Amino acid sequence: MQTTMTSPLTAHPAATSHSTSTHLSIDNVTKCFGSFTALDKITLEIQEGEFICFLGPSGCGKTTLLRTIAGLTRQSTGTLIQRGKDISRLPPQARDFGIVFQSYALFPNLTVFDNVAYGLRNRRINRVGIRSRVTELLALVDLGGSEDKYPAALSGGQQQRVALARALAMEPGLLLLDEPLSALDARVRTHLRSQIKALQARLGVTTIMVTHDQEEALTMADRIVVMNHGVIEQVGTPAEIYHQPASAFVASFIGTMNFLEVTAGTNHRVQLGSTHCDCQPHHYAQGLPIQLAIRPEAVALSRTQSELMGEVTGIEFLGAFQRVALRVQGTGQTLLADVPSRDSTALVLQLGQVLSIHFPADAARLYPAGSSQP
Amino acid sequence: MRAILFSRPTAKLSLEALVRLLMLLAGVALLVIGLLFPLFAMLVKSLQGRSGDFIGLANFVQYFQTPALVNSITNSFRMALTTTVVVVGLAFLCAYGVTRTCMPGKRLFRMLAILPILAPSLLPAISLVYLFGNQGFLRELLMGHSVYGPIGIVIGMSFWIFPHALMLLTTALTHSDARLYEAADVLGTPKWRIFLTITLPGVRYGLISCLFVVFTLAITDFGVPKIIGGQFSVLATDVYRQVVGQQNFQMGAVVSVILLLPAVLSFMVDRWIQRRQVAQLSARAVPWQPTPSPLRDWLFALMCYAVAGVILLVIGTAIYASLLQFWPYNRTFTLQHYTFQGLAGGGWEAWLNSLKLAFSVALVGTLVIFFNAWLIEKSDGYQPLRQGLHLMAMLPMAVPGMVLGLAYIFFFNQAGNPFNWMYGTMAILVLNTLVHFYTVCHLTSVTALKQLDPEFEAVGASLKVPFWTTFRRVTLPVSLPAVLDISVYLFVNAMTTVSAVVFLYNSDTRLASVAVLHLDEAGYFASAAAMAVLIFLTSLGVKLLHAALTHALLNNAQRWRQAG
Repeated sequence: MQTTMTSPLTAHPAATSHSTSTHLSIDNVTKCFGSFTALDKITLEIQEGEFICFLGPSGCGKTTLLRTIAGLTRQSTGTLIQRGKDISRLPPQARDFGIVFQSYALFPNLTVFDNVAYGLRNRRINRVGIRSRVTELLALVDLGGSEDKYPAALSGGQQQRVALARALAMEPGLLLLDEPLSALDARVRTHLRSQIKALQARLGVTTIMVTHDQEEALTMADRIVVMNHGVIEQVGTPAEIYHQPASAFVASFIGTMNFLEVTAGTNHRVQLGSTHCDCQPHHYAQGLPIQLAIRPEAVALSRTQSELMGEVTGIEFLGAFQRVALRVQGTGQTLLADVPSRDSTALVLQLGQVLSIHFPADAARLYPAGSSQP
Repeated sequence: MRAILFSRPTAKLSLEALVRLLMLLAGVALLVIGLLFPLFAMLVKSLQGRSGDFIGLANFVQYFQTPALVNSITNSFRMALTTTVVVVGLAFLCAYGVTRTCMPGKRLFRMLAILPILAPSLLPAISLVYLFGNQGFLRELLMGHSVYGPIGIVIGMSFWIFPHALMLLTTALTHSDARLYEAADVLGTPKWRIFLTITLPGVRYGLISCLFVVFTLAITDFGVPKIIGGQFSVLATDVYRQVVGQQNFQMGAVVSVILLLPAVLSFMVDRWIQRRQVAQLSARAVPWQPTPSPLRDWLFALMCYAVAGVILLVIGTAIYASLLQFWPYNRTFTLQHYTFQGLAGGGWEAWLNSLKLAFSVALVGTLVIFFNAWLIEKSDGYQPLRQGLHLMAMLPMAVPGMVLGLAYIFFFNQAGNPFNWMYGTMAILVLNTLVHFYTVCHLTSVTALKQLDPEFEAVGASLKVPFWTTFRRVTLPVSLPAVLDISVYLFVNAMTTVSAVVFLYNSDTRLASVAVLHLDEAGYFASAAAMAVLIFLTSLGVKLLHAALTHALLNNAQRWRQAG
């Protein structure tokens, strides 16, 4: 296994050195199907060697964007530039990418060997060259020895890895993964997640993965592109996306988020019911109704008295922590708070109990009222 | 501009796009020349006088003023409707027995029930003459009625159309969701209500589709009424009589247009219903399994085998008659009728011609139709062309054979037509037969292609493999069972069809099915029976070969299908 690290598969010196040169720039790409706009003026730069995730609910345009990059869907307007070459009008055959589909699309009548060798045979490489290359690729995805099996004889996870080996066979500069893990069961998925990520890091191949699974995106991506209704909501590292969501949509789509209706106060305060809370400085006009978003794990509860109190209306046991639902006194709004199991004993949680609520000022974010949530 | 065009790195790849476009255009051209132009020529002909001058609807006026001709319309409708009721009723009961009961010997019954398709529709008509004709050994069963006319036509057509209806209804009844039946049982629903509220609604689209298919087949059939119709004329025989008997091509065209109308209408209604049909079966449906119920099972078995018995009786009669010296006076066995003296030695030649036609159509047709379906289903771009090709591929279903054959005369026999050389050759018979049976093959191809992973072509493209390689290495091998089905369908139909080719053969390309017709017309009944039996046996042989080949393929050559 280790020997493959020095094999010709790490063929992109530019990629392995992690230089910051641009691999692909997408400029103002729009795609309309009839009157429906699937992609609306998408602009995005992807760096050499990066692992990018397109994340969003179904119908957000992430798969359309991936297919546009592959040339399988032709954009209505806009340009795509890969390594300095304009590929906007090129058919898929003339573009430099390998792709793994959700269904894997393995050729059922060909053996694993022939599947992986499918593109190589067309390149008129000699037999010995093909054989050694396929062996190398299969070893890379941990499937050495399965050359003569047919796809139907493999498990879902194995088929997925064959598809990956086939996509990598032509040494593409760009690897496209279209929901590659969604057809697998949970355990295999977690395992393959780290395997793909490690492989990508080793080969240094620029990779774009489409997914609707936020956990997948958070664990695998260098940067995440969150999409909704054909536009990019936010581009950022997993930590940025999680901790500083740029919009109410991103905030609600990633993880669990409380949204409270508040009124803007002076520049670093908001009013919840009759209570004034500290928050980060904002620019909303005083008196304007806005939304305050805070993660359940950021909410602190205690048995002391404070300005902001809440009555426990529900307790959910989730193992490492307990999720407590509270009715905020004075507003009637519901708030979720995650209490780590070891703290919950100190609180002696029970229904009907009234606890005091604390928001750390830097953990709460503000969004305009009525902005989109899924 | 040229320099830019050729210096682009995609020069090799736009070759792929070019090939695709040319193939698509070739597919469109095939159906435009083989279907649209001839039909148009026929429409024009129906508006012309004897000397080729435009006379508007005068021919139609004359048609409707001739009672002998107008009568055929009501005759045709009466025959077609009666046949539809008989066939669909019987086929529904049999299909129900096969799919929803535990009757014994289902496989055997299904095999026997398919036999009539392998014979030309002339065969049951000939058998009926032997069974119920003036010398028939069962004529007392008709209680004095003559088999020549409506009775014979309905029985003959029912025999020949039954397998089509049975296949459609078996398919419809096979798809069921056991969960609905369980829910109904748990709620204490009586059996008859379950049938009315679950079974019937579940098959209603299949049933309606079946009604239209049977009606169309019945109203357009030529073989049965030709042999056994006697003085009772229907639209299809009128076309033949006008053209071949009276050389009145204009009136032939008029009758054709009138015959085309019900077929096109029923086709359109069927399409409309199909479009409203949404998939009722979700992927999670659990197939319903019948539980044994001795009384019901044996009742259905009895009925199914009665039907199978009639089928064997009809086919057996034809075989028996072809082997007797001279029915009913000299019942010694002989093979002399298989020398086909009535055709002056042309009998076996006609059979060879049929074989040649059937093999050509099976080979060329399968490849052309499957590849065209692939272009429509699996390639992108040229949306209008692909849609147009699909529409034209659906059209032949609505065009009766008689009409298509006559239309070919008008189009290909025109002076100055660049395809005039085809007239009277084997090529025109191949083209005509291919177009005539295009739709079913097209639908089979589309269904098979839809089952493939939609991304095969995209994967091929991403691996820089040209589309024809992916087609050859993946699409075709994976779809092989469907491709074999298409080829055997084309072979059998090319072997048995009479209606279209009856206008198009010449002395060198006389076909076996046409020979049956001529032998019968000339009074060589035993030889006609012999030729019909010969066609039947040939089709049966090919069908068995196909079954063996499919079996071998699925077991050995396509090992990958069982892997896992």
